[in-house]
Parts: sequence; C-alpha cells; structure tokens
Amino acid sequence: MSSSNIRDLQRELENKANDLNKLQKDIAKNHQVRKKYTIQLGENELVLKELDLLNEDANVYKLIGPVLVKQDLAEANANVRKRIEYISAELKRLDATVQDLEEKQNSKKETIMKLQQKMQSLQAGKGKA
Amino acid sequence: MAGPRRKGTVTPLESHFSPEEVQKATKHIQDSIAVKNNELHQLRAFVDDNSNLISLVPFGKAAFFPGRLIHTNEFMVLLGEGYYADRTSKQTVEILQRRGKSLDSQVDSLQLMINNLNSFIKVADSEVEEGLVEIREEYVEDEDNDHSDEEESESDLPVEDATSSGKSTAKEMDYAAFLSMMDELEKKEELAEKNGDYSDEDEETTDDFNDSPYQRPVVNNPKNPEGSNQAIPLNHQENIADQLNFESLAVQSQVRGKIAQNVKPIDPSVKPPILPREKTSQATSASKIEAQHQTSQPSFDSRKAFTGSIVEHAESLPKTSREQSSNSQVSSSQPSKPVSRFKMQRK
Repeated sequence: MSSSNIRDLQRELENKANDLNKLQKDIAKNHQVRKKYTIQLGENELVLKELDLLNEDANVYKLIGPVLVKQDLAEANANVRKRIEYISAELKRLDATVQDLEEKQNSKKETIMKLQQKMQSLQAGKGKA
Repeated sequence: MAGPRRKGTVTPLESHFSPEEVQKATKHIQDSIAVKNNELHQLRAFVDDNSNLISLVPFGKAAFFPGRLIHTNEFMVLLGEGYYADRTSKQTVEILQRRGKSLDSQVDSLQLMINNLNSFIKVADSEVEEGLVEIREEYVEDEDNDHSDEEESESDLPVEDATSSGKSTAKEMDYAAFLSMMDELEKKEELAEKNGDYSDEDEETTDDFNDSPYQRPVVNNPKNPEGSNQAIPLNHQENIADQLNFESLAVQSQVRGKIAQNVKPIDPSVKPPILPREKTSQATSASKIEAQHQTSQPSFDSRKAFTGSIVEHAESLPKTSREQSSNSQVSSSQPSKPVSRFKMQRK
C-alpha cells in the first residue's frame, strides 16, 4: 500500500515540478519582454527630449518601413508622448504579472516541499517497518 | 657754381636707398607673397576637399561613379524610434553630445548598482564564511568516521541523503550533531516520563531551545504545521517507537556528537543548531510528519498555548521550529538566486 502511495506521490511531485518549471519559464519570458520595454522607454524619452529642443520649423521625419515620412513636429511630439504612456502602462502590467507569477511559484515550491517531506516520511516509515 | 644757392637739391635715390637694400626689400616682399600664395592654395584645396567630400560614390558592391557632396552642412539625425530630424552640423554635434551625456549617466548609475550588488555579495560571502567554511572542514573529518557508521544506520541514512542530496555534505555533519542532541533530549524525556516529572523536564528543554535561535523560526513563521492537540498524542506514541530506533543510532550519533562539539566552540552555536534541526525534522519526525501533514497547518496560537504545560510540547516546539527552519532554509536557498536576479533586472 505504501509503495503505491509513494508512487502516487512521486507522480504528483513530478507534475508539480513540471508546473514549477513552466512558471519559471514564464517568469523568464516576462522579464525579457520587460527588459525590451524598458529599453524602448529609455529611447523614447531621449527622443522626446530632443524633440523638445528642436525649433518649431525644424523638419522631422519618421521612418516607416523603407520610407521617410515627413511629420509635423507637434504630431511627432504627441506620438512619442503617447508611446511613452503606452510603454509605461505595459511595464506596470508586466510588473503585476511577474509578481503574480512569483507568488504562484513560491506556493508551488511550498507544495513541492511538503510533498517531498511526505515522501520522506513514508519512506522512513517503510524503512523502519 | 650756383649749386648751393638753388632752393632745391638733386640727390640721387641711391644716396637714400642703397641698391642692395632695395633689392633686399623686394626680395622680402616677394617671399611673403609666395607664403601667402601658398596659404591661399591650401585654403582653396581645403574648400575643394569640403565641397567634394566624396570623389567616388560606391554603387553596388563593385562599381563606383564620380560624385561629390554638395549640402555638407545638412544632417539627417536619427533621434531614435524611427524619428529623424534635419539638423546643421553644429546642432548635430549638440545632439550627439547630449546623447553621450545621457548614456554616460546611465553607465554611471549601472556602475553604482553593480558596486552595491558587489558589496552585498561580499557581506553575504563573509556571513557564509563565518558559518559554513568551518563546517566543511569538519565534514572532511567526518567522512572518514562516518563510512563505517553509515553502514550501520543505512536504514535511516538513505532517506536523509535523498532529501539533502543537493547540499548534503555540510548537512550530514550537522545531522550527526543534531542526532546526538536529539538522543540526549529523548533520553531526558524518557527519564522524565518514568519519573513522572513532566513539568521540570519540559521547562528545561524549552529553555534549551529558547536560548539559541530556536525561537527565531517560530516567531517568524506563523504557519506551524500540525495541530498540537491531535499531533501530540500521535507523536508521543511514535516517539517510543522512534526512541528504539534512535538508541540504535545512539552509538553512531555520539561519535558524531563529539565531532559536532568540536564545531560549536568555533562556531558560536548559531549555525549548527539550526542545520541539525532540519535534519531531525526529517529523521525524528519522519514518522510524525505524516501525522502533522494530515492536520494541515492550524494556527500558530493553538500551539503556543501549550508551552510548558505538556512534556510533548517541549519536543514538538523545537520540532516545528526545525521544520520551519528547514522550510525556510531550503526555500530561501533555492529562490534566493532567481529573486535577486529579478530585482536586478527591475532596477
């Protein structure tokens, strides 16, 4: 009976370990995306700073695909601002999801710990008997 | 002759300017003209260079055709994110300087962060060295002694090895120290039970545990597994069975206990007690944990109410603390890396 129990526990443990692995992968992916957005945010802030320093009559172009499209300075400014807003919102969202994932990960770790202890106790009981 | 009476006098130029001097002067002027001409030439060449910045324009991989730059003071500057702006050379230089400054500041802040992290690592390392290096030395000695012992206690050790396989070496040593401690405690308990002298022993043992960091885990972790009411009788019954097992281990553990006592003076009893407890949680409560897990994590208070009232409590208290310490240690040792990594990235 105990051996079947142990087998069950082992299977459960494996499942949990897989889940944990998945969670960790998700977290890693999230962090990569987060990194990308952080870089973009920095770049956009630089652009905004430069745009603010430009004269009213300066020519501003936006590279869209292979074409340079002439843009209004005000329009470009507004676009960059919007983009920064979007990126910051996205960063906040990612932070929340990462936190969530980390919580999940911790709880998973705890359950795995408990399972391991359970298995140890079972095995120890078997060994003594 | 009337020469002297005349108003004017005719004097040859030569008397004022000697022909040599005149020649010198003309030569000097000619020289300076040549120098100026040279400079003019250079300037012309410079202008030519600048209006013909490129004499050959690459066309494809192999071909060139002649050409030159005309609008040499018009720059199209990439501001980032696909935005370009028309700028003069001066303005471009300003933009680039600003960009360099901001990048420098970013590098500085990153450097600062790296320094902070390094200092943190140093602190952590020094802490680890205080506790762990000495334990490692002990372990080397242990291994020789243990090999014979392990065979005796094979029935128990495999379990522990499996659990602590990752960081086994230091722990095994602690395990020995802990076992000896547990044996002493259990013997005390046994005596106490026989004498019916519950309260005294209880106080002693609890005091022992309260002295050192035993309390810490209990206070910190409000999630004590096992309901005290249900678990205690179970523990008690199984303790008797355990004690039999432990007495068989006693010889071995006492050998180890001596070694462990060597550790204590070096390492002011902080680390050894914690780690060994982790072991016992696996060893002694191996059979008990089952009972503990059946009653899933009741509140901390119910357990606390029992302090000092029942013999088993003295034992169960340290046990849970041990278990928690094992929890906290294992969980903290593993997640610590990923967590810190995340923090780094977030900054």
